[in-house]
This record gives sequence, C-alpha cells and structure tokens, in this order.
Amino acid sequence: MKISKRPGGVLGIVAMTSIVALSLSGCTRDGAGQGGGSGSSPGITDSAITLGITTPLSGATAGPGKCTVAGVSAYFGAVNAAGGVKFGDGKTRTVTIKSYDDAYDPQKSLANFQQMVSDNVFAATAGLGTPTNRAFREAAISQKVPQVLVMTGDPLFSDRKQSPWQLGFVPIYQNEGAAFGKLLSASKGQHKVAILSQNDDYGKGYVAGFKEAIKDASNISVVGEQTYEATDTSVDAQLTQLASSGADVFFNAMSVTPLTISALQKAQQIGWKPSWFLPSNTSSPTAILEPGGAAAYPGIYSVSFAKAPQSPAFAKDPDVTKFLSELKQYGNYPDMPAFPHCMWSYMVGATLEQAFKSMTEPTRDSFMTALRNIKDLKAPLMLSGTAVDTTVDGQPAVSSVVVQKYNGKGYATAENFG
Amino acid sequence: MGTFIQLVVDGLSTGSIYAALALAIVLVNQATGLINFAQGGMAVLSAYIAYAFLGLGVPLPLAILVAVVASFLLGALAERFLVRRFERGDPDTAVVVTIGLLTLVTGISALLWGYNNLGFPSLFPLTSVEILGAVVSVRSLATTVTIVLIMVVLQLLFLRTKLGLALRAVADNPGSAAFSGLPVGRLLMVGWGLAATLGAIAGVLVAPQLTLTPGMLDTALVYALAAVILGGLSSPIGCVVAASAIGVLENLVAVYVPLIGHDLKIAVPFVLIFVILILRPQGLFGRKVVVRV
Repeated sequence: MKISKRPGGVLGIVAMTSIVALSLSGCTRDGAGQGGGSGSSPGITDSAITLGITTPLSGATAGPGKCTVAGVSAYFGAVNAAGGVKFGDGKTRTVTIKSYDDAYDPQKSLANFQQMVSDNVFAATAGLGTPTNRAFREAAISQKVPQVLVMTGDPLFSDRKQSPWQLGFVPIYQNEGAAFGKLLSASKGQHKVAILSQNDDYGKGYVAGFKEAIKDASNISVVGEQTYEATDTSVDAQLTQLASSGADVFFNAMSVTPLTISALQKAQQIGWKPSWFLPSNTSSPTAILEPGGAAAYPGIYSVSFAKAPQSPAFAKDPDVTKFLSELKQYGNYPDMPAFPHCMWSYMVGATLEQAFKSMTEPTRDSFMTALRNIKDLKAPLMLSGTAVDTTVDGQPAVSSVVVQKYNGKGYATAENFG
Repeated sequence: MGTFIQLVVDGLSTGSIYAALALAIVLVNQATGLINFAQGGMAVLSAYIAYAFLGLGVPLPLAILVAVVASFLLGALAERFLVRRFERGDPDTAVVVTIGLLTLVTGISALLWGYNNLGFPSLFPLTSVEILGAVVSVRSLATTVTIVLIMVVLQLLFLRTKLGLALRAVADNPGSAAFSGLPVGRLLMVGWGLAATLGAIAGVLVAPQLTLTPGMLDTALVYALAAVILGGLSSPIGCVVAASAIGVLENLVAVYVPLIGHDLKIAVPFVLIFVILILRPQGLFGRKVVVRV
C-alpha cells in the first residue's frame, strides 16, 4: 500500500512547489508592475533595490565573513539614512541588504543563491570565499544574475569571457605576489629568498606573481621552496629546512591564521630572522603579528589597499572615523575590525553606489554595463596609490596594491625594501 | 646534522600533542572497552572552560584546575547519561554515538565561543634552550615532560593500584566484576571522568600553540588514533612511544624522501599501521588477547 501512496506524495510536493513558484513569480510581476514598468529586473522597484550576500557567518571563517556583511550594511545604512541613492534613471532608491550564511560550504552557498533568486534579489555581492563563490558561478551565469565585487582572489571571476556576470573585488593572488616581487627587485642589495606556499591555487598564484616579477632581477635568487597542505597543523619541518638555506627574505604564501602565528614563533626560536612577506589576509597586526612576536624580525611586509583603522597613522583620518562610526551604527559591528574584509566591503558599497548612479535602466544588463565602466574611483578608505578600476578584462575591481611594512603597531607604506 | 637533530626534536614535540590525546583514548578503552572519538572535542571544550575562567580574571593555574575538575564531572556525566545506554550493545553503535558526541561537543564550543581563533596563554614561557645544536622551546619541552609524567602515573594506576585493577576488571568482564562486588557503574564513570581530565590537560597544553578553535584537535585526533593502534590499545607507554615515532618519522620522511615530501607525509603513519598490524596485530606494545576455549 505504501508504494501506491508514494506517487501521490511526490505529486503533492510537485503541486505545492508549483503553487509556491507561481505565487512567487506572481509577486515578482506585481513588484515590477508597481515599480519601474515591465522592463525592470527582479529585485528593483522605483524606491528600493535588494542585494544579497552569501558568506560564512558561522564556522572557521565567520570572522572575516561577518565583516563582509557589516561593511556593506554600514555603507548603505548611512546612504539610506541620507535619503538613498539617486540612480542613473533619475529615481532615488534605498538599498536593502539580505545576508545568507554559507559557513564556507560550497553546497550551502549554491542553495543560498537559489534562495536569493526566489527572494527576488537583484544581485549577489561581497560574499567571501573562492570555493563558495565558484559553487554558484555557473548558476548565476545561466540565470543572468550579477555576482559582483565578491571577495575572492581567484582570477576566474575577472575573466569576462568565462564569467560574463561576475567581477571580483579584491586583488587576485598574482597581484599581491607581484607587488612584493617588484619592491624586492628594485632594492639595491643582493637577496636570497625562501618560499613556503599552500599547495593549492592560492599559494601557486602568489608564487607565480612573485616569480614573474623577479625573473629579470639579477640581485634576487630563490634558494629554497617548500609547500604545505591547508589542513596541516604544523610547518615546523618546512621552516627548519628553509632556515638552513640561509635566506634573508621569506615569502610565506599562507592562508591559515594559527599556522602563520606558529610559523612566526618557530622561525625566531630556531634563530632564523629573515624579512617576511605575508599575504593581505594573514597579516593582521592584532590577530597574527602580535601573538606571533613579529617585532623580532627586521621587517614584516604585506600588501594592502585599505587604510588600517587600528594603525595610529590613521587614527584621526576622516574616512576612518566615519567608517568606524557607521560600522557601529548600521553594521552591527561595535568592535575595532580585526579583519580587512570590513574595510573592503565598505568600499564595495561605494563601488556599487557609483554603478547605481550611472545605470540608466533598472535592469541587470544596465547595471553590469555601468559596473564595468568605473575608472579611478577613490573609494573611501583606499590608500593613496590605489583605486577602483573595473575597465580592464582579466583584472578585478581593485588590482593596485601598496606594499606596507609593519611598524610594531600597524602598517605604513613602504617605499623601499629594507 | 643540525637540521637532522632539529627535525627529530620538532617531531618529538609534535608527537607529544598526539600522545596526550592518545593517552586519554587508551584510558577510556582500558576502563570501558570503547574508543571515544569525542575525546578531542571534549578536550577542546575543557580548554574553552579554562579560557572562560581566564576571562573572569581567574589566574591561569587556577583556571586550568577548575577546567580539570569540571571536565572530570562532564566526562562522568557523559558516560552515565549518554554512553551507558550503548556500552553493552553493539560496539559499532557505540562508536557512532561517540562520533555524534564529537559533533555535538564541537557544536557547543562553537555556539558559545565562535569559530575565531582565540589566543590562549601558556603556563610555560616561549624561550628556548639549545640541546646538541638543536633549539628546543621550553614550552614544548615542558609539554613533553608533562605528558611523560602522566604516562608514568597512568601506567602505575593501571598496574599497581586497586582502582586500576578494578577499572580493568570492569572493562574486561563487567558481569564477573559485578559479581565480585565491584561498583561497575561508578567505575565506568570514573574511567570516563579520568580520561576527560587527561583530555583537559592535553587541551590546555596545546591550545597556546594551535590557538583555540572548536576544531583545534581534529587532525590531532587522527594521529592519536594512529598512535593508539600502533602502540597497542592497552599500553600507555606504547602509545606515547608510537606518537613520538610518528611525529619524528613524518618530519624525517618529508625532508629526506623527496618522493613523499611535505604533501604526502600524512600517509606515513597509516602505511606504518598497515605494516605493523599485519606483523603484530595487537600493536607494538599491546597485550595479546588470549581466550581460553
């Protein structure tokens, strides 16, 4: 008897789903009908636009993930309070942010994307994570939903042919590695470099960018190269091996916070004190360098394009004070941000606002055209020497970075190596 | 030569982390006949308890003491109200229950403290001393010494005390143990409580190095299980020796066997298990189980 019941159950589910789908699409049409006429895309009316963020809000990457929501919410919270954004079609709209937790799990981010589509989200933005953003990239392309200004250093998102509805925000891994390589090649002295990298696209991207930048420099030689797995709990053996190479510069393309801390501790214990290069996402002064005892090294270099709010140099900067107060008021983030993602997503807000101002129709097509046409935008919190430029194929919205040196408290821009 | 000695010393200090967890697993196994997959998760929870008391301004040694006592109670309660129902049933079911417990305990830690890496202060300074040309941090030296001390105490407990004898009797044959007047239920609770205590010590010893996160000991648990199988489920000395051997061997193989390197070194302990189990199924130091027919 059970068997005969089943088709009925399935039918029931199908029927229910269709009813839900119908009523949802009905809502969409109503929304659009009340709003900007028959031609507008889902998620935008005459008075509002809805953006979705799928990002880790729980799990190991929740710290940076929460920042991605807080920054965008802070930016648009202040904009909405001032009346909203005047779009290129002449209408003023407020911006609504919907956030979805994917716990850095690709399956969840895909499900979240489907949820966004049924929630009538105009575009997905600012979400953190390479695997999670990759998971719904193809779905976004086939449904023509913008997936833009996402926090991944994966070059795939900035390749227009392969990713017509995407655009990465942060510099790709290669940009960061190259910036450090350039600074090092320009230095006067001879330098021996040891490299430790994560055995995946992240580590390989950094190393490729770095090696490309030093390939014509006769004063730089790579004397040791090791890898580790992202799941490893210790890199002591690699460090011991690299220390014996006698390198005076250590290029550490590592993405794991506790490993970076213990590496900083271990190298000084075994008496190896080179200058370090660390990627932008594992170079936080409070979360990594202080516990790692980084002051023992002649120099810790990293790259950045955002002003660091915890640095005394920017304590009175008007951008920074405005950012911190909006983060508290609208971003539900009362603490000093420990991760740069808070600043980055705040800039995402500014970049989106710029695109909104110049999109002439309330459609996703018009939005993408406007978004890909931003040049030399000095978003708030950007360091001098960096700017948003979305016009170059193959490059993310921000591809310019400034090498910075740790000064015991925060970072300051480094003109020269040493 | 300097590099070689350094690699050995580093391996020993990594091995001591595996050993700490392995000892707790052996303890539970000796006392209840189970393998507790949640041992790592429980150790992390204990470290979080110490962390919470630190946050209240309690000095570090006292906070650790509180965590140790709390862990004993939590371990005993977990045995009494959760594991007890599955102890005499199918061992496979019990294994699944402890895996479920691992997920639950990790979830509780995450719920209360989040997934961000939290810095945990160490009892021992980060200074280092030089031994035979290798640099040894005082912290890892002290960790190793603590683990060895615990190992000796455990070995004595099991082989030289009445409590140890009773614990072993209960694990070996609960029916006969009950007939000879042993309080089986209470002894099982004591076994779990002691293992949780040991886990708590392991947790606070390694937390400064790994930084506190709910999944801090997940990888270490895999190695600890390897050490337990390798050293023999019944031997505290065996599992400490095996854990140290795994740590050292992994380092040496990664550096001196280019084919394996750092990316494949995690396979080393498991290949070793495979070989040892074929040659000596009870583990290197384990007692052979003899059944009279």
